[in-house]
Amino acid sequence: MLKRPSSRRRSTPTDVQINLVPMLDALVTLIGFLLFSMSFLSLVSIETPKPEVNPDTVEKKLQERPLQLTVSIREKESEIWSPFERIQAKVIPHTSEGLPDTKGIHEALIEVKRGFLGENKVVLVPSASTSYDVLVAVMDSVRGLEPTDPPLFRPNATTGIEEPVKALFPEVVFGNLLGEN
Amino acid sequence: MSRLRSIRFRRGRKKHREVELQLTSMMDVLVIILVFLLKSYSTSTNNFTTLPGLKLPISASQDLPPDSLHLIITPEGMTFENERIVEFELSAGSLADETTYAIKKVDLAEDGRQIQPLYAALIKARDRAELLRAKSRARDESGNPLPFDGVLAIQADKRVRYDTIRKIMYTAATAGYKVFRLLALKRES
Repeated sequence: MLKRPSSRRRSTPTDVQINLVPMLDALVTLIGFLLFSMSFLSLVSIETPKPEVNPDTVEKKLQERPLQLTVSIREKESEIWSPFERIQAKVIPHTSEGLPDTKGIHEALIEVKRGFLGENKVVLVPSASTSYDVLVAVMDSVRGLEPTDPPLFRPNATTGIEEPVKALFPEVVFGNLLGEN
Repeated sequence: MSRLRSIRFRRGRKKHREVELQLTSMMDVLVIILVFLLKSYSTSTNNFTTLPGLKLPISASQDLPPDSLHLIITPEGMTFENERIVEFELSAGSLADETTYAIKKVDLAEDGRQIQPLYAALIKARDRAELLRAKSRARDESGNPLPFDGVLAIQADKRVRYDTIRKIMYTAATAGYKVFRLLALKRES
Protein backbone atom coordinates (compact mmCIF):
# COMPACT_ATOMS: atom_id res chain seq x y z
CA MET A 1 0.00 0.00 0.00
CA LEU A 2 1.35 3.34 -1.00
CA LYS A 3 1.62 6.11 1.49
CA ARG A 4 -0.14 9.33 0.85
CA PRO A 5 2.11 12.12 -0.46
CA SER A 6 1.73 14.07 2.72
CA SER A 7 3.14 11.26 4.80
CA ARG A 8 6.15 10.57 2.60
CA ARG A 9 8.28 13.13 4.28
CA ARG A 10 11.63 11.56 5.06
CA SER A 11 13.39 14.37 6.78
CA THR A 12 13.26 14.07 10.54
CA PRO A 13 12.34 17.22 12.46
CA THR A 14 15.50 18.83 13.80
CA ASP A 15 15.59 20.24 17.35
CA VAL A 16 16.14 23.97 17.25
CA GLN A 17 17.85 25.08 20.44
CA ILE A 18 18.41 28.67 21.38
CA ASN A 19 21.80 29.36 22.85
CA LEU A 20 20.88 30.66 26.29
CA VAL A 21 24.43 31.12 27.57
CA PRO A 22 24.94 34.78 26.41
CA MET A 23 21.53 35.72 27.79
CA LEU A 24 22.43 34.03 31.05
CA ASP A 25 25.68 36.00 31.17
CA ALA A 26 23.79 39.26 30.65
CA LEU A 27 21.25 38.40 33.35
CA VAL A 28 23.89 37.47 35.90
CA THR A 29 25.79 40.71 35.19
CA LEU A 30 22.59 42.75 35.50
CA ILE A 31 21.58 41.07 38.77
CA GLY A 32 25.06 41.61 40.18
CA PHE A 33 24.94 45.30 39.27
CA LEU A 34 21.46 45.76 40.75
CA LEU A 35 22.38 43.96 43.98
CA PHE A 36 25.53 46.05 44.31
CA SER A 37 23.86 49.40 43.72
CA MET A 38 20.61 48.69 45.52
CA SER A 39 19.64 50.44 48.70
CA PHE A 40 18.08 47.96 51.10
CA LEU A 41 17.38 50.70 53.66
CA SER A 42 14.38 52.71 52.53
CA LEU A 43 14.58 55.98 54.44
CA VAL A 44 12.04 58.78 54.50
CA SER A 45 12.26 62.16 56.18
CA ILE A 46 10.05 64.54 58.11
CA GLU A 47 11.26 68.08 57.67
CA THR A 48 10.92 70.63 60.43
CA PRO A 49 12.28 74.17 60.35
CA LYS A 50 14.07 75.94 63.17
CA PRO A 51 11.53 77.96 65.16
CA GLU A 52 11.93 81.68 64.44
CA VAL A 53 11.04 84.31 67.00
CA ASN A 54 11.43 88.03 66.56
CA PRO A 55 9.62 90.95 68.23
CA ASP A 56 7.92 92.04 64.98
CA THR A 57 6.19 88.69 64.45
CA VAL A 58 5.11 88.54 68.10
CA GLU A 59 3.55 92.01 67.79
CA LYS A 60 1.84 90.99 64.55
CA LYS A 61 0.52 87.79 66.09
CA LEU A 62 -0.93 89.63 69.07
CA GLN A 63 -2.87 91.83 66.68
CA GLU A 64 -3.96 89.15 64.20
CA ARG A 65 -4.62 86.41 66.79
CA PRO A 66 -3.84 83.48 64.42
CA LEU A 67 -4.83 79.87 65.10
CA GLN A 68 -1.28 78.77 66.01
CA LEU A 69 -2.48 75.22 66.52
CA THR A 70 -0.47 73.55 69.27
CA VAL A 71 -0.24 69.88 70.23
CA SER A 72 1.26 69.32 73.66
CA ILE A 73 2.31 65.83 74.72
CA ARG A 74 2.46 65.43 78.47
CA GLU A 75 3.17 62.46 80.75
CA LYS A 76 -0.41 61.17 80.82
CA GLU A 77 -2.30 63.10 78.17
CA SER A 78 -2.09 65.10 74.97
CA GLU A 79 -3.74 68.47 74.45
CA ILE A 80 -4.77 70.24 71.26
CA TRP A 81 -5.14 73.96 71.86
CA SER A 82 -4.60 77.46 70.53
CA PRO A 83 -2.75 80.14 72.55
CA PHE A 84 -5.17 82.73 71.17
CA GLU A 85 -8.18 80.56 72.06
CA ARG A 86 -9.33 80.24 68.45
CA ILE A 87 -10.45 76.67 69.15
CA GLN A 88 -11.76 74.90 72.20
CA ALA A 89 -8.90 73.02 73.83
CA LYS A 90 -9.23 69.24 73.74
CA VAL A 91 -7.46 66.86 76.10
CA ILE A 92 -6.85 63.32 74.85
CA PRO A 93 -5.71 60.81 77.49
CA HIS A 94 -2.90 58.39 76.64
CA THR A 95 -3.69 54.78 75.76
CA SER A 96 -3.55 51.96 78.32
CA GLU A 97 0.12 51.42 77.31
CA GLY A 98 0.90 54.97 78.40
CA LEU A 99 1.48 56.22 74.85
CA PRO A 100 -0.20 59.17 73.13
CA ASP A 101 -3.44 58.21 71.42
CA THR A 102 -2.32 59.04 67.88
CA LYS A 103 -5.67 57.98 66.42
CA GLY A 104 -7.56 60.27 68.81
CA ILE A 105 -5.18 63.15 68.05
CA HIS A 106 -5.62 62.56 64.32
CA GLU A 107 -9.43 62.57 64.55
CA ALA A 108 -9.46 65.71 66.69
CA LEU A 109 -7.15 67.48 64.21
CA ILE A 110 -9.44 66.57 61.29
CA GLU A 111 -12.23 68.41 63.11
CA VAL A 112 -9.94 71.42 63.58
CA LYS A 113 -8.95 71.29 59.89
CA ARG A 114 -12.63 71.51 58.88
CA GLY A 115 -12.75 74.99 60.41
CA PHE A 116 -9.31 76.12 59.18
CA LEU A 117 -8.83 74.57 55.74
CA GLY A 118 -6.06 76.99 54.78
CA GLU A 119 -3.98 76.35 57.88
CA ASN A 120 -0.92 74.08 57.45
CA LYS A 121 1.22 74.78 60.50
CA VAL A 122 1.21 73.04 63.84
CA VAL A 123 3.41 73.60 66.87
CA LEU A 124 4.46 70.39 68.61
CA VAL A 125 5.38 70.54 72.30
CA PRO A 126 6.49 67.08 73.45
CA SER A 127 7.57 66.24 76.99
CA ALA A 128 11.26 65.56 77.58
CA SER A 129 10.66 61.83 78.11
CA THR A 130 8.89 61.31 74.77
CA SER A 131 10.77 58.75 72.72
CA TYR A 132 11.76 59.35 69.10
CA ASP A 133 9.49 56.49 68.06
CA VAL A 134 6.45 58.19 69.66
CA LEU A 135 7.53 61.56 68.27
CA VAL A 136 7.55 60.22 64.70
CA ALA A 137 4.17 58.50 65.23
CA VAL A 138 2.61 61.74 66.53
CA MET A 139 4.13 63.75 63.66
CA ASP A 140 2.68 61.24 61.17
CA SER A 141 -0.78 61.55 62.73
CA VAL A 142 -0.53 65.35 62.68
CA ARG A 143 0.80 65.72 59.12
CA GLY A 144 -0.95 63.24 56.89
CA LEU A 145 -4.41 62.19 55.87
CA GLU A 146 -5.23 58.49 55.61
CA PRO A 147 -7.32 57.09 52.74
CA THR A 148 -9.93 56.08 55.31
CA ASP A 149 -10.34 59.65 56.63
CA PRO A 150 -13.44 61.64 55.66
CA PRO A 151 -12.70 63.75 52.58
CA LEU A 152 -12.01 67.46 53.02
CA PHE A 153 -12.46 69.97 50.20
CA ARG A 154 -11.10 73.45 49.82
CA PRO A 155 -11.97 75.99 47.08
CA ASN A 156 -9.07 76.82 44.79
CA ALA A 157 -8.00 80.47 45.19
CA THR A 158 -7.88 81.14 41.43
CA THR A 159 -10.51 78.89 39.87
CA GLY A 160 -12.91 78.67 42.79
CA ILE A 161 -13.36 74.95 42.16
CA GLU A 162 -13.33 72.78 45.26
CA GLU A 163 -10.26 70.55 45.48
CA PRO A 164 -9.51 67.74 47.92
CA VAL A 165 -7.19 68.59 50.80
CA LYS A 166 -4.18 66.28 50.58
CA ALA A 167 -2.52 66.83 53.96
CA LEU A 168 -3.63 67.70 57.47
CA PHE A 169 -1.04 70.00 59.05
CA PRO A 170 2.19 69.18 57.15
CA GLU A 171 4.40 71.95 58.59
CA VAL A 172 5.49 70.87 62.06
CA VAL A 173 7.57 73.18 64.26
CA PHE A 174 8.88 72.28 67.70
CA GLY A 175 7.75 74.81 70.25
CA ASN A 176 9.91 74.06 73.25
CA LEU A 177 13.54 73.86 72.12
CA LEU A 178 14.41 76.09 75.07
CA GLY A 179 11.89 74.60 77.51
CA GLU A 180 12.58 72.45 80.50
CA ASN A 181 9.45 70.28 80.69
CA MET B 1 46.51 -7.47 20.74
CA SER B 2 46.79 -7.33 24.48
CA ARG B 3 46.52 -3.56 24.16
CA LEU B 4 43.12 -3.85 22.48
CA ARG B 5 41.89 -6.05 25.30
CA SER B 6 43.08 -3.80 28.09
CA ILE B 7 40.38 -2.07 30.15
CA ARG B 8 41.97 1.34 29.72
CA PHE B 9 41.78 1.03 25.95
CA ARG B 10 38.18 -0.11 26.04
CA ARG B 11 37.25 2.87 28.14
CA GLY B 12 39.00 5.12 25.68
CA ARG B 13 37.02 3.72 22.82
CA LYS B 14 33.73 4.90 24.32
CA LYS B 15 32.12 7.78 22.50
CA HIS B 16 32.18 11.13 24.29
CA ARG B 17 28.54 12.02 24.76
CA GLU B 18 27.70 15.71 24.93
CA VAL B 19 26.21 16.62 28.30
CA GLU B 20 23.84 19.52 27.92
CA LEU B 21 22.85 21.52 30.92
CA GLN B 22 19.18 22.47 31.11
CA LEU B 23 19.43 26.24 31.39
CA THR B 24 15.75 27.06 30.94
CA SER B 25 14.79 26.60 34.60
CA MET B 26 17.81 28.63 35.69
CA MET B 27 16.79 31.38 33.26
CA ASP B 28 13.30 31.38 34.78
CA VAL B 29 14.69 31.86 38.28
CA LEU B 30 17.06 34.62 37.16
CA VAL B 31 14.33 36.50 35.31
CA ILE B 32 12.11 36.38 38.41
CA ILE B 33 14.97 37.70 40.55
CA LEU B 34 15.65 40.43 37.99
CA VAL B 35 12.02 41.55 37.95
CA PHE B 36 11.92 41.62 41.76
CA LEU B 37 15.14 43.66 41.94
CA LEU B 38 13.96 46.11 39.30
CA LYS B 39 10.65 46.57 41.11
CA SER B 40 12.26 47.26 44.46
CA TYR B 41 15.12 49.31 43.01
CA SER B 42 15.12 52.82 44.37
CA THR B 43 16.91 55.65 42.69
CA SER B 44 17.43 57.79 45.77
CA THR B 45 20.24 60.29 45.65
CA ASN B 46 21.32 60.10 49.29
CA ASN B 47 24.16 58.09 50.69
CA PHE B 48 23.00 57.84 54.28
CA THR B 49 24.62 55.06 56.20
CA THR B 50 23.46 53.43 59.38
CA LEU B 51 25.10 51.86 62.41
CA PRO B 52 24.76 48.28 63.64
CA GLY B 53 22.15 47.97 66.36
CA LEU B 54 20.37 51.19 65.42
CA LYS B 55 16.60 50.71 65.59
CA LEU B 56 14.81 53.28 63.47
CA PRO B 57 11.13 54.14 63.88
CA ILE B 58 8.70 53.61 61.00
CA SER B 59 7.02 56.58 59.37
CA ALA B 60 4.16 57.04 56.90
CA SER B 61 5.98 59.98 55.31
CA GLN B 62 6.67 59.70 51.58
CA ASP B 63 9.40 62.35 51.39
CA LEU B 64 12.75 60.97 50.26
CA PRO B 65 15.62 62.73 52.03
CA PRO B 66 18.14 64.43 49.71
CA ASP B 67 21.81 64.25 50.63
CA SER B 68 22.85 66.49 53.53
CA LEU B 69 25.00 66.54 56.65
CA HIS B 70 24.10 63.53 58.72
CA LEU B 71 23.94 62.90 62.47
CA ILE B 72 23.27 59.45 63.92
CA ILE B 73 22.14 59.15 67.53
CA THR B 74 22.26 55.76 69.21
CA PRO B 75 21.43 55.24 72.89
CA GLU B 76 25.21 55.18 73.55
CA GLY B 77 26.44 58.21 71.60
CA MET B 78 26.42 60.47 68.56
CA THR B 79 28.12 60.04 65.19
CA PHE B 80 28.42 63.03 62.86
CA GLU B 81 29.46 62.38 59.27
CA ASN B 82 30.78 58.90 60.18
CA GLU B 83 32.87 60.23 63.07
CA ARG B 84 32.02 59.50 66.69
CA ILE B 85 31.85 62.86 68.47
CA VAL B 86 29.93 62.23 71.71
CA GLU B 87 29.84 59.26 74.08
CA PHE B 88 26.90 59.18 76.49
CA GLU B 89 27.36 58.13 80.11
CA LEU B 90 25.29 55.51 81.83
CA SER B 91 22.98 56.91 84.49
CA ALA B 92 21.60 54.11 86.63
CA GLY B 93 18.07 54.35 87.96
CA SER B 94 16.53 52.64 90.98
CA LEU B 95 15.17 49.87 88.79
CA ALA B 96 17.04 47.90 86.13
CA ASP B 97 14.85 49.19 83.31
CA GLU B 98 15.33 52.79 84.44
CA THR B 99 18.99 52.69 83.46
CA THR B 100 19.43 55.25 80.70
CA TYR B 101 22.22 56.93 78.80
CA ALA B 102 22.65 60.67 79.21
CA ILE B 103 24.95 63.34 77.82
CA LYS B 104 27.96 64.00 80.07
CA LYS B 105 27.74 67.27 81.96
CA VAL B 106 31.20 68.31 80.74
CA ASP B 107 29.89 68.18 77.17
CA LEU B 108 27.05 70.61 77.90
CA ALA B 109 26.98 74.42 77.86
CA GLU B 110 24.37 77.23 78.00
CA ASP B 111 22.51 75.81 81.00
CA GLY B 112 22.63 72.29 79.61
CA ARG B 113 21.00 73.19 76.29
CA GLN B 114 24.01 73.08 73.99
CA ILE B 115 26.19 70.04 73.26
CA GLN B 116 29.74 71.38 72.91
CA PRO B 117 31.42 68.63 70.79
CA LEU B 118 28.44 68.65 68.42
CA TYR B 119 28.52 72.44 68.16
CA ALA B 120 32.23 72.34 67.26
CA ALA B 121 31.66 69.63 64.63
CA LEU B 122 28.70 71.49 63.12
CA ILE B 123 30.63 74.78 62.91
CA LYS B 124 33.56 72.96 61.28
CA ALA B 125 31.24 71.32 58.73
CA ARG B 126 29.55 74.64 58.05
CA ASP B 127 32.89 76.39 57.47
CA ARG B 128 33.96 73.61 55.10
CA ALA B 129 30.68 73.85 53.16
CA GLU B 130 30.96 77.64 52.91
CA LEU B 131 34.55 77.38 51.70
CA LEU B 132 33.50 74.89 49.01
CA ARG B 133 30.67 77.16 47.93
CA ALA B 134 33.03 80.15 47.78
CA LYS B 135 35.36 78.20 45.49
CA SER B 136 32.51 76.84 43.37
CA ARG B 137 31.51 78.52 40.11
CA ALA B 138 27.84 78.36 41.07
CA ARG B 139 26.67 81.88 41.98
CA ASP B 140 23.40 83.56 42.79
CA GLU B 141 21.85 86.38 40.73
CA SER B 142 24.04 89.07 42.27
CA GLY B 143 27.22 87.05 41.71
CA ASN B 144 27.76 86.00 45.30
CA PRO B 145 28.50 82.39 46.35
CA LEU B 146 25.40 80.34 47.09
CA PRO B 147 24.42 80.55 50.78
CA PHE B 148 24.88 77.64 53.18
CA ASP B 149 21.69 75.55 53.03
CA GLY B 150 21.89 74.67 56.75
CA VAL B 151 20.15 71.30 56.58
CA LEU B 152 20.90 68.60 59.16
CA ALA B 153 19.55 65.07 58.80
CA ILE B 154 18.96 63.44 62.19
CA GLN B 155 18.82 59.65 62.29
CA ALA B 156 17.97 58.64 65.84
CA ASP B 157 17.33 55.31 67.50
CA LYS B 158 13.66 54.95 68.38
CA ARG B 159 14.51 54.75 72.10
CA VAL B 160 16.26 58.14 72.14
CA ARG B 161 14.29 60.67 74.17
CA TYR B 162 13.08 64.06 72.96
CA ASP B 163 15.25 65.67 75.65
CA THR B 164 18.35 64.63 73.66
CA ILE B 165 16.83 65.53 70.28
CA ARG B 166 15.83 68.94 71.62
CA LYS B 167 19.41 69.63 72.73
CA ILE B 168 20.67 68.58 69.29
CA MET B 169 18.22 70.86 67.49
CA TYR B 170 19.07 73.77 69.79
CA THR B 171 22.80 73.19 69.21
CA ALA B 172 22.30 73.02 65.44
CA ALA B 173 20.14 76.15 65.48
CA THR B 174 22.85 78.10 67.33
CA ALA B 175 25.42 76.84 64.78
CA GLY B 176 23.37 78.32 61.91
CA TYR B 177 21.40 75.29 60.77
CA LYS B 178 17.83 76.15 59.79
CA VAL B 179 16.17 72.90 58.78
CA PHE B 180 16.14 69.50 60.50
CA ARG B 181 15.25 66.30 58.68
CA LEU B 182 14.12 63.57 61.02
CA LEU B 183 14.81 60.24 59.32
CA ALA B 184 12.79 57.07 59.71
CA LEU B 185 12.15 53.83 57.89
CA LYS B 186 9.49 53.91 55.22
CA ARG B 187 6.28 52.15 56.18
CA GLU B 188 5.48 49.43 53.66
CA SER B 189 2.08 50.12 52.13
